[in-house]
Amino acid sequence: MIEARGLTKVYGDKTAVAGVNFTVEAGRVTGFLGPNGAGKSTTMRMIMGLDRPTSGSVTVNGSPLTGHAAPLRDVGALLDAKAVHTSRSAYNHLLAMAATHSIPKKRVHEVIEMTGLAEVARKKVGGFSLGMGQRLGIAAALLGDPQTVILDEPVNGLDPEGVVWVRNLVKYLASEGRTVFLSSHLMSEMAVTADHLIVIGRGRIIADAPIQEIITGKGQGRTRVRTDQPDRLMQLLAGTGVSVEVQERELLEVTGLDPRQIATAALENHVMIYELTPLQASLEEAYMELTKDEVEYHSLITTGAVPVEAGGN
Amino acid sequence: MSSTTVESTPSRRGADAQRSGNGSSSGPGPSFLRVLNSEFIKFRTLLSTLILLGSTVVVMVGFGALSAWGTGQFSEAAARDPEVGARLAAQGGDIAVSVPTSGIAFAQLILGSLGVLLMSSEFTTGMARSTFAAVPKRIPAFAAKLVVVVVTSFVVTAASTLAAGFVSVPILDNYGLGLDLGSPQSVKLLLVNSIYVAAVAAIGMALGTLIRNSAGGIMSLVGLFFVAPIAFQLIPGDFFVEARKYLPGNTVDPLTAVEHLPDTLEAWQAGLVLGAWVVIPVLLAAVLLKRRDV
Repeated sequence: MIEARGLTKVYGDKTAVAGVNFTVEAGRVTGFLGPNGAGKSTTMRMIMGLDRPTSGSVTVNGSPLTGHAAPLRDVGALLDAKAVHTSRSAYNHLLAMAATHSIPKKRVHEVIEMTGLAEVARKKVGGFSLGMGQRLGIAAALLGDPQTVILDEPVNGLDPEGVVWVRNLVKYLASEGRTVFLSSHLMSEMAVTADHLIVIGRGRIIADAPIQEIITGKGQGRTRVRTDQPDRLMQLLAGTGVSVEVQERELLEVTGLDPRQIATAALENHVMIYELTPLQASLEEAYMELTKDEVEYHSLITTGAVPVEAGGN
Repeated sequence: MSSTTVESTPSRRGADAQRSGNGSSSGPGPSFLRVLNSEFIKFRTLLSTLILLGSTVVVMVGFGALSAWGTGQFSEAAARDPEVGARLAAQGGDIAVSVPTSGIAFAQLILGSLGVLLMSSEFTTGMARSTFAAVPKRIPAFAAKLVVVVVTSFVVTAASTLAAGFVSVPILDNYGLGLDLGSPQSVKLLLVNSIYVAAVAAIGMALGTLIRNSAGGIMSLVGLFFVAPIAFQLIPGDFFVEARKYLPGNTVDPLTAVEHLPDTLEAWQAGLVLGAWVVIPVLLAAVLLKRRDV
C-alpha cells in the first residue's frame, strides 16, 4: 500500500506536486493518469525516495523507502528506461542490482526470461531500442519479487505484443495481492488495464475513483438538448457543477444534470424541448473533461464552444 | 566475495518465493558488504574502467623504462662531463630510486579521472536512479564505491610501480646503476605514491559526486592538480609561495624526501594536508548526495 499525505514538491518557483493525498491499495491495478508535466513522474520519484518532498510525506507499507530493511524486495520500480549505464550489459546491470540484496543469480535469469530479454542480455544496454529498455526496466523492477510495483509509462515504446504483455503482467501481479501503481498519459491504455484511477493535473489530484465511476461518473454524463429558447433554458439550468455548451443556435450540451432534471426544469417553466439525448462519455472524454483546466501545455485549438459556467470539478 | 557474504538460508529464500505479497519484505537487505559486492560488479563490468586501469599500467611501465634510459644517459654524461657531474652531485642521493614512480603524474590523472567518471556516469546515464532505489539510504552505496575506487587505485598504482621497477632494473644495470626495489626508500616511494594516487582518485570521486558531470569533474581535477600548481608559481607574492605548499599535488615530495627540502612542508604536515584534501571533499560530497534529489 502506498500512502501520500500532503505530498508537495516545489522546484524553484514551479510547484510540480501540490499537496496531494492518495492511497494506492494492494490487490488491484491503480492507474496514475495525467497529461505530460502533471507531476506523475515527480510523485513516483518521491515514492522511491529519489526526490525529497518539499513537504508532506509518502510511505510504502507504512514507512518511507529509506526506512525499509530490504527496499528492492518491498518495492520495485521502473521510473525511466534509461536508468541504466549504457556501457554495461543487461545481465550485468541486473546482477549488480541483485547483489545489493543477495538476490540469487537464478532470479536474475528468471526475470530475463520473463521479460523476453534472453537474446540480448549480454549486449550493451546503449544499443537497446526503447522497447527493450522498457523490458529491462521491468525486469529490474521485478528482481526482488516485490510486494509493490511502480511502473512509470511502462508501455512507452513497446510493440503491440509488448503492450499486451505488460497489461497481462500488471493484472497478474495485482491478482497475487500486490500493490500495482502504473502511470500513463494514455487514457485508452488505462481503460483496459486499471481497476482504479487517480487522475492528476498540474500537481493536483483531480479524481480518485474506480475506473467505472470515472467513465460513467456523476457530473460526467452529458445530455444533448434542442430547444427553441436556449437562452432561457441556460438561465434555468445554471447552478453549481452544471455547465452548458452552446453547440449550435438551438442545440445545447449539458453536463452535471441528468435528462430528467433538465426535462423537469423545462416543463415547470414552459420551455419547449424537442430533443433530449443522454450521451455516454468515453474514458477519453471523461479524461479530457477532468483535465481541461489542468493541462500544462494547451494546444491552441478551440471548438468554438461557449462554456457558460466552468464545471465544478 | 558474493557467495561468502550471503547470509540468507535456503529456507528463508523459499519462504520469500512463496510470499503472496502481503506484509513487508523477507530476505536480506542492502548490508554494506552486499553493496560493496554490487559496486565491485559495476566496476568490473565496464570496459572503460578496465581500459583506464590497463592504460595506467602501460603508462607507468613505459615512463619507468624511458626514465631508466634517460637516467642512464645522464649518469654516463656525468662521468664524462664535469659540469653535468656537478649537477648530478648537487642532486645528491640516489637518482635511480625514483625511476619506477616517474609516471605517477599520469597515473594520478588517469585514476583521478576514473574516480570522477565512476560517480558522474551514474548521473549522466541515469544509473543513479537504479542504484539509489536499491540503496535508498545512499551513503552505503557512496562509501562502497569509495572503497572500490580507493583500493583499486592503490593496488593498480603499487602493482604498476613494481612492474616499472622490474623493467627498469636491467636497463639501469646497463649503465652501471643499481636499483634495489626492496630498499626502504624504494618501498617508501611505492607506498606513498600509491596512497597519493588513491587519495587523488577519492578526490576525483568526490568531485564527480558534487559536479555530476564527467567533463566538469575532470576539468576541476586537472585544475587542482595541474593548473593550480603552475598558476600559483607564476603569480608573484609571498602568499602564493606559501599557499603552493598546501596544494594536494605538492604533498608527495615532502612525504618521500630523504631530507627536508626547503620551501616544503614537514612530512607530518604534508600527510595532514593531503588527508584534509581527501576528507573535506568526500564528506561534503556524502552530505550533499544524501540531501539532493537524484
